[in-house]
Amino acid sequence: MMNNSPITSSVPILEVSQLHVSYGTFQAVKGISFSVSSGEIFGLLGPNGAGKTSTLSAIEGLIKPQSGQITVAGFSVLEKPLYAKANMGVQLQSTSFQAELTITEIIRLYSGIYGHPLTTAEVNAKLEEINLADHSKKKFGELSGGQQQRVSLVISTIHDPQLVLLDEPTTGLDPQSRRQLWDRIDTIKAKGHAVLLTTHSMEEAEAVCDRIAIVDHGQLIAIDTPEALIAQHRNDPDVISVSRRGKITLEDVFIGLTGRAVRS
Amino acid sequence: MQTRIPQTSAVISALLRADFTILWRNRRSLRLVLLVPLVIVISWKGLVDKLGGEYVLAGGITIGLISIGLLGYTNSIARDRDKGVFQRLRVGPVSAWTIMASRIAVQVCMVMIMTLSVFIVGYCVDKIAVSPLGYVTSFLAAILGGALYLSLGQLIVGMIKNPETVNSTTRLVYFVFIMVGMFGELGVLGKVVEDIVHWSPYGVVNTLIATSLKPEKWTQQTSMALLAALGYIVVFAGIGIKKFKWN
Repeated sequence: MMNNSPITSSVPILEVSQLHVSYGTFQAVKGISFSVSSGEIFGLLGPNGAGKTSTLSAIEGLIKPQSGQITVAGFSVLEKPLYAKANMGVQLQSTSFQAELTITEIIRLYSGIYGHPLTTAEVNAKLEEINLADHSKKKFGELSGGQQQRVSLVISTIHDPQLVLLDEPTTGLDPQSRRQLWDRIDTIKAKGHAVLLTTHSMEEAEAVCDRIAIVDHGQLIAIDTPEALIAQHRNDPDVISVSRRGKITLEDVFIGLTGRAVRS
Repeated sequence: MQTRIPQTSAVISALLRADFTILWRNRRSLRLVLLVPLVIVISWKGLVDKLGGEYVLAGGITIGLISIGLLGYTNSIARDRDKGVFQRLRVGPVSAWTIMASRIAVQVCMVMIMTLSVFIVGYCVDKIAVSPLGYVTSFLAAILGGALYLSLGQLIVGMIKNPETVNSTTRLVYFVFIMVGMFGELGVLGKVVEDIVHWSPYGVVNTLIATSLKPEKWTQQTSMALLAALGYIVVFAGIGIKKFKWN
């Protein structure tokens, strides 16, 4: 059930170059550039309103950037949006599926949309994988937060995408569900896929991400591995001043770089 | 590494299956949408001799079309947009038009079910019989009328973002169309209102359907009503699509 004109790609999985996003006169993203390679989990961190969601929305093709380039598996999100989207799986921050559909029907819908139609047996196998086989007749809204996230993750990886975008995937989850989701993210990585996730949890960023970019006021202010970021900034007076127990953590570095002020 | 995008037919098929499942799950509201025109056709039985069977059938169908376009389509689009359903669909390799095409196909199906139900009830209860050609042309007119009210719904959902405001607006417009439309057309509200109603979306659809039931009575005024209906569709859909925000 595919188009007959496949296109071959052999470039980095995600490349964002000089991205600018504006809403009227407000510049939400000011020249952000980064790339994510296969088998890498990349974290995008930043306070509220820093430009994370705008960056992610531009990558997802939901908003049109003012300028800049975004390529997914070599396909420009602006010029070849369907090819770029076919290579990415997305878990949105507030996932909402059709309230009237059961999770089996939702999975079948999205498997069709991504051109990988699944039979009922295959859908059941997917549900078995995430321990939701007994809930196959339930509506999405009837599941717990952790169960909803598992279904969302299955849907975002249903077509085996090269890039998986996860927007605050563990928000509101209990520690057990969060750990389980981290394991699933590691599994995605082990398959050689690239993962871009946003989170407000520094613990999660440290535990899961290979590299981290900190964004503030629409600009990328730091990018490196969690360990390297801590090492680079452990002697910054701003970082030391926010340290609570003597030991410098990623959260100290984050607050030291982005400031103590609470963002709206 | 090869990248293939899903065929449009496969995407539409998946969307249609989901949208028709949703229609089936919402069959209670479907029954309500059907109930109003059927009640009108039954309760207007006494008008068949006075104003003609086509007047009664056209009235029922027009009000059914308003229900489908304003209460069904518009509110479901506003609700799904607000809940992020469209946003989730649009991050997939799906062209925006396929999402809307599937939604509209479901509504057209509802228009056909409603029109057929009105014909059946009109025949069984009111003994209104129409020529085969009349049934075919009025069926087509009902689809055109459905397009007009769907485009009006698109205009509302394009201009208004808040789903609660969309809901109250559609109910208000629905009420105004039914009350002013029915009474205005009968001349109860005066000549000026009667003329306005005659060329309003309510009036042109009613005229088109009533005449289509007896195609031999097609006049220049009916042609003008057809042109007006097409004009309304172009303007409403044009503005509604242009102003529409997916999220």
